[in-house]
Amino acid sequence: MDASPSTIRVIIVGAGKGGTSLLELLTRSPDIQIVGMADINAEAPGLRLARNLGVRTETDALALIAEHRADLIVDVTGDPAVRSLLLQHKPPRAEVMGGTSALLLWKLAQHERDLRDQLIQSEKLASIGTLASGIAHEINNPLYTITGLSEHLRDEPQPEVVREYIEEIITAGKRIAGIVQGLNAFARRTQEEEVCEIDLNRTLDEAVKMARRATVLDQVQVVTRYAAAQTVRGKTDELLQVFVNLVTNAVQAMEGKGTVTLSTVSHNGFVQATVRDSGPGIPRNNLNRIFDPFFTTKEQGKGTGLGLHIVRDIVTKYGGQVTAESALGEGATFTVNLPASPH
Amino acid sequence: MPWGLHTKDTPGNGRVMIVDDEDNVRKVMRLSLAKAGYDVVEAEHGGEGITAIGSDDNMLMVDVIICDIRMPKINGLEAIAFFQQQYPSVPIIVVTGFPDQKMATDLLARGVFDYLVKPVDKEKLLQTVAAAMEKHLALRHDG
Repeated sequence: MDASPSTIRVIIVGAGKGGTSLLELLTRSPDIQIVGMADINAEAPGLRLARNLGVRTETDALALIAEHRADLIVDVTGDPAVRSLLLQHKPPRAEVMGGTSALLLWKLAQHERDLRDQLIQSEKLASIGTLASGIAHEINNPLYTITGLSEHLRDEPQPEVVREYIEEIITAGKRIAGIVQGLNAFARRTQEEEVCEIDLNRTLDEAVKMARRATVLDQVQVVTRYAAAQTVRGKTDELLQVFVNLVTNAVQAMEGKGTVTLSTVSHNGFVQATVRDSGPGIPRNNLNRIFDPFFTTKEQGKGTGLGLHIVRDIVTKYGGQVTAESALGEGATFTVNLPASPH
Repeated sequence: MPWGLHTKDTPGNGRVMIVDDEDNVRKVMRLSLAKAGYDVVEAEHGGEGITAIGSDDNMLMVDVIICDIRMPKINGLEAIAFFQQQYPSVPIIVVTGFPDQKMATDLLARGVFDYLVKPVDKEKLLQTVAAAMEKHLALRHDG
């Protein structure tokens, strides 16, 4: 990244909870460049996230300070010894923020994280509404078979016709049971779910299934081009939400007609998953704003403007990146890069 | 039965076309309608409905159309737009499993006769078809 004059170059010392929250928050700002992060523990969670984000990591804070010019060194270790070392070795123009000021910044970062979690939750609720009407449609057809044929059974004199209707009623009942079972499987995945290894190919397939409930896919051709077993780390329902949002958006952009191409490929220690649609494309002006919260081109009441924002939020949380490419008339491609998990 | 418009003097109660991609949904409706004396024609999706109703020299006349919304190939909205343009006097009853208030309001504003949500009560279906049939006859007599 080429630093513009207004860019603040920051080094974070301490990669525990506080450092991680700060890193997550600060990497979002285009005016802040994290030039490095240090912690004596090479496996500290913040260092892992930093490596995924392509931020320089060090176990020796002083080496980092010596090699990289920083405007601000944020010390979240809370250790007075670290603070005095940093003050002694900092370049003349750099400021050191530590103690209570660093704690305050950490608390603010945590608060921001909580707000983002609430945002994710409210978007989930909004998508449950869409999902519910999709499920209503799926259930109403077999339900109609059951109620309708039962009414006709009442005055049907021929035993073989009665038997035929009963068979159809049983089949319809089983179909409803299948739908409910699928829903239970989805509902069981709670927020407390652990981070685990996830096959992204399966997540993409499941996302298409879910999107089928949230939108109309009857006239959409879904093409998949998967590379073998693409494993990443994350929470199943969060990664599912990423791709449900992307697939649903793609289908809506095409107004329910066209081709959605899903692909996965390994790339430099990352798994790259793309969702491409054959819709009208995204105007250049909007392309910069689509990941912003509450930005929507859908009519009022149809979209929360949070879908893509949450996609980016989740992907960044796992040390990944999401980008959008589009030209008018040539559809849109969303690319998600997530750190590959070793098998 | 000869193809032709239903009038007060023709046998039966008139012809209804059911456009729905679910076999069983069409079957349940057909059973109710046939018992009530209607002649029933079925189509699996919008495209089939359009072909059925408009096959050139052997034009199939229908008095009332029952149409689903979510269907493969040509969906209900497109089929309805076509029917309304080509056969403005034929009332259309939307029967959908996907309740959408905005769509219902839009469709009713665009002149769709009624918007029913599955599972539809048998009596409600018959009442609505009877009312639509009456409207069709009245429109034809006026025009």
